[in-house]
Amino acid sequence: MGDIVVLVKPSLNPDMTRSKPDGTVDLDAIPLKLDDIDANALEAAKELKNTLGGKIIALLLLPWGPIQKRTRELKMVTQEALARGADEAYIVSDEKLLPGDPIITATVLSNAIKKYAPSASLVLVAEASIDQTTGQIAGRVAAKLGLPFISYARKITIDGNKIVAERDVEDHIEVMEASLPAVVSVTQEINEPRPPTLLQIRRAGKKPQKTLSAADVEPIPERKKEPVEYKILTVSRKQVIIEGDTLEEIAEKLIEALEKEGVL
Amino acid sequence: MVDALIVASGVQEVKESLSAVSSLGDVEVLFYGKDSDKADEVAKLGVKVYVLKSQHPGALFNAVKKLYDEKQPKVIVGYGTKNNRDALSRLAGTYDLPMATDVIGVEFKDDHIIYKRGFLSERAIATEKIPYPAIILINAKVFEPVQREGSGNTEEISVEEDSVKLLEIKPKQLSGINLEDAEIIVGVGRGFKKKEDLELAFKLAELLGGQVGASRPIAADYKWLPEDAWIGISGKRVAPKLYIAVGISGAPQHMAGVNNSKIIVAINKDKSAPIFKLADYGVVADLYQFLPVLIKKLEEKKGK
Repeated sequence: MGDIVVLVKPSLNPDMTRSKPDGTVDLDAIPLKLDDIDANALEAAKELKNTLGGKIIALLLLPWGPIQKRTRELKMVTQEALARGADEAYIVSDEKLLPGDPIITATVLSNAIKKYAPSASLVLVAEASIDQTTGQIAGRVAAKLGLPFISYARKITIDGNKIVAERDVEDHIEVMEASLPAVVSVTQEINEPRPPTLLQIRRAGKKPQKTLSAADVEPIPERKKEPVEYKILTVSRKQVIIEGDTLEEIAEKLIEALEKEGVL
Repeated sequence: MVDALIVASGVQEVKESLSAVSSLGDVEVLFYGKDSDKADEVAKLGVKVYVLKSQHPGALFNAVKKLYDEKQPKVIVGYGTKNNRDALSRLAGTYDLPMATDVIGVEFKDDHIIYKRGFLSERAIATEKIPYPAIILINAKVFEPVQREGSGNTEEISVEEDSVKLLEIKPKQLSGINLEDAEIIVGVGRGFKKKEDLELAFKLAELLGGQVGASRPIAADYKWLPEDAWIGISGKRVAPKLYIAVGISGAPQHMAGVNNSKIIVAINKDKSAPIFKLADYGVVADLYQFLPVLIKKLEEKKGK
């Protein structure tokens, strides 16, 4: 049968958000990490690998510069993808592709799939990333590759040449069936990713990986998104801690405060 | 040609989308899904409505593409529902259109669009600029719904589904609570040690005439409450008068869902929990000790 491609995003780690003195986001100071739901996508690939009989190819694209500073972080994300079950990795890293624009990202990833994983029977993508959360790469890639698309899968089974997925819509589940090859986006509910073992981490270093430049994945479309400003969100709440000698006193003071606010 | 095409599956969604594109001229609507019989209500807003009865994402994609090809709208707008994201991300990929999701503010300039949206799991706000034509998916309850009367006509649109088959629709286990409309919400988090203990929160909510919502662990991971009780980035966004967070630490993914509350109260035994910086009133106490006292005091008040 075929290989599984998992799109892996080295995302800015929101838990390490840093700001500049003027209150804007210090993008260059925020480290990259393997995106949360990508771990679910890799886990899903591991579970499906035996059924499909091929290998798991992780495909990464560096969306944030500066490129020199990101080399080590990109390497760590790649290692983690390999430790989490990918058999090999392709990493696209090029100044020309920075900062990431969904139009460029989706085109580059699609071009890379066509060129480096032509026998892929399944492309797995996280439903959204933790930094930009635009949630549109999977659909764009499906359109570019001209493949059937199932979004928001929280359960996947493969039966011969067919994939059946439970698609998680707001208030119900849709059971969808597509023929392979197909592009499927997965949600966090699909599985519980197991942290890689020490052995898996050690083996990851020996797996093949290849770095690609923009020239390897042409043609590259025109950039359309321009950043204007990234500002740290400030919440101005009253932050009053209600104190008292007893819980009864605290409860009374709280009720009083809420009545004054007119919300009780 | 039209200026904007609204792609929506609900009447309120159309009203808010109309508000978002109010600075543009001619607007038409593609109204789809299981509520598509409400198309007449949409037409009464004075817009032409194309009706797609299917809720199949492939059919929606084909319908949107057909209308896009015919009408060449400058802007496509709607909520970021899963079907909209599915179909419109494919349209975006087909024509390399810029697409902004979770938009909380937008300005349509002569030759470009500027929008605002959450960034870094809602720790920051991104302002970005894109050219026309573009897809703008707005957050619910951000734009004031338009109130107007007119008369538009409706026209049924029929398209093929794509090769993906919809085999079955299964219900989710839901509470049926409409948190979006609740005036008071008691939010429960990991501070609760077991499912039965949530009774305390339900008691409090009942006394206040409110509803119970939950953070991710409670609703999505432990499944102590149905999924529609989940408040946060991937759950629901709510805007009650009063939000009482009990045993919730205050992770940004959760707070993004409650930031529009008028007053936020935090009850948590860990005085260094981030929630206290994100709340109006904080009580540093063990919920198991404090809630019974608060409930008793409220009952006494009610009794009077």
